[in-house]
Amino acid sequence: MAEMFSTLGTWNWLIFGFILMALELLAPGIFLFWLGLAALLVGLLSFAVNPSWQTQILMFAVFAVAAVPAWRHFARSEGSRSLSNPFLNRRTEALIGREFTLEKPIVDGTGTVRIDDTIWRVAGPDAPAGSRVKVVQADGASLTVAAA
Amino acid sequence: MSGFDIFAIAFVLLVIVTLFAGVKTVPQGYDWTIERFGKYTRTLSPGLNLIIPYFDRVGRKMNMMEQVISIPEQEVITKDNATVTVDGVAFYQVFDAAKASYEVSNLDQAIIVLTMTNIRSVMGSMDLDAVLSHRDEINERLLRVVDAAVSPWGLKVNRIEIKDIVPPADLVEAMGRQMKAERVKRADILQAEGQRQSEILRAEGAKQGQILQAEGRREAAFRDAEARERSAEAEAKATQMVSEAIAKGDVAALNYFIADKYIKAFGQLADSPNQKIVMLPIEAMSILGSLAGIGEIAKATFGEAATSATAARRASSVPNTGPTPPPVAPQR
Repeated sequence: MAEMFSTLGTWNWLIFGFILMALELLAPGIFLFWLGLAALLVGLLSFAVNPSWQTQILMFAVFAVAAVPAWRHFARSEGSRSLSNPFLNRRTEALIGREFTLEKPIVDGTGTVRIDDTIWRVAGPDAPAGSRVKVVQADGASLTVAAA
Repeated sequence: MSGFDIFAIAFVLLVIVTLFAGVKTVPQGYDWTIERFGKYTRTLSPGLNLIIPYFDRVGRKMNMMEQVISIPEQEVITKDNATVTVDGVAFYQVFDAAKASYEVSNLDQAIIVLTMTNIRSVMGSMDLDAVLSHRDEINERLLRVVDAAVSPWGLKVNRIEIKDIVPPADLVEAMGRQMKAERVKRADILQAEGQRQSEILRAEGAKQGQILQAEGRREAAFRDAEARERSAEAEAKATQMVSEAIAKGDVAALNYFIADKYIKAFGQLADSPNQKIVMLPIEAMSILGSLAGIGEIAKATFGEAATSATAARRASSVPNTGPTPPPVAPQR
């Protein structure tokens, strides 16, 4: 086994890297991909310096771990870009800023409004039915309103 | 193989497994809860996420999309004691993955049972007719109650729809008969009303016709009377004129007129083209007798000498027609 690693060495890493990347396409999860990247990196370094196989394997482990912060940085900058539909599965957040008419008065902090053909319970300062309110905050399924 | 070899291999395996445990890709539409030592700490939103291996563990993978669950069929007794079979559907969406994961156990079952009991209480307070005709109202009442009840679980029920309301078969049959009777009744009433209307119209027409006829008769009678009046007037005038003439002249003039009329009437009688035999009533003999009287008049007028004054008066009152021929009986 040791002989196989030492003799095939460099090429092994590159082959291993490509196999990992191909597996990533079959089972996506952005996980095998940068293990593959680490393997390719080790392979390329091995051409230059030709370290022992133990060193190579440790280099692979270090690169794999180091890829985490690097990837995280990349993912953050990707995530901060504006999305085409930022409110997908976040329906309440899309309601912030919109104005509605109170269907039932807000008494003791809770009342109802009718939004998109369903009834939403809202929290806010007491107000009579029919008054206009504005959604100021959404937390899960609960909406907080203020007088518009 | 040295200890360092084994260590290196083991280390790589550990790194791979650790990375595998630490990197989590959450698909869109789901939120994953993270538990640290079994206690909920945070929620992963869709996208790539890192957790700390060995400490953190993925708890629940909560579906954040709107979901539909069917409310199974159940029997409901309405306020007026009719047993109907009801089923429905409910739509809900999880807004708070943590609450939906840990505040309630077996979320779908909880919603189903909650909705079923509320269907019973809402529909149980209504009559069968109201249950069948106020589906929207039932849906809305259910929605209000169930939505309020599930809000501690971090989710919202967007819609509850009663799908089928099936009354028992004999009740359906009775309802069908009731509806049919109702329509038959309406048809009968309409027909009777139509008949009544037509009868009234017909009677009205007849009445109008009779009135018009009577008016016509009245008008005609008025005019007849007028005509009679006028002819009487004319007669009276004529008589007056004759009597005036007589008063001025001799009585013989009157006799002359009468004789003239007699003869003319008799002439007409005899002139009838296909009348060879003239039947005369016995009375007619006296008319014939009168002819002799007429002859006398003629003789008195033209035969005997009279005073010149009288003659002049006669000449003015009697048209000069020459000597009157002696009256003769019709030859034919």
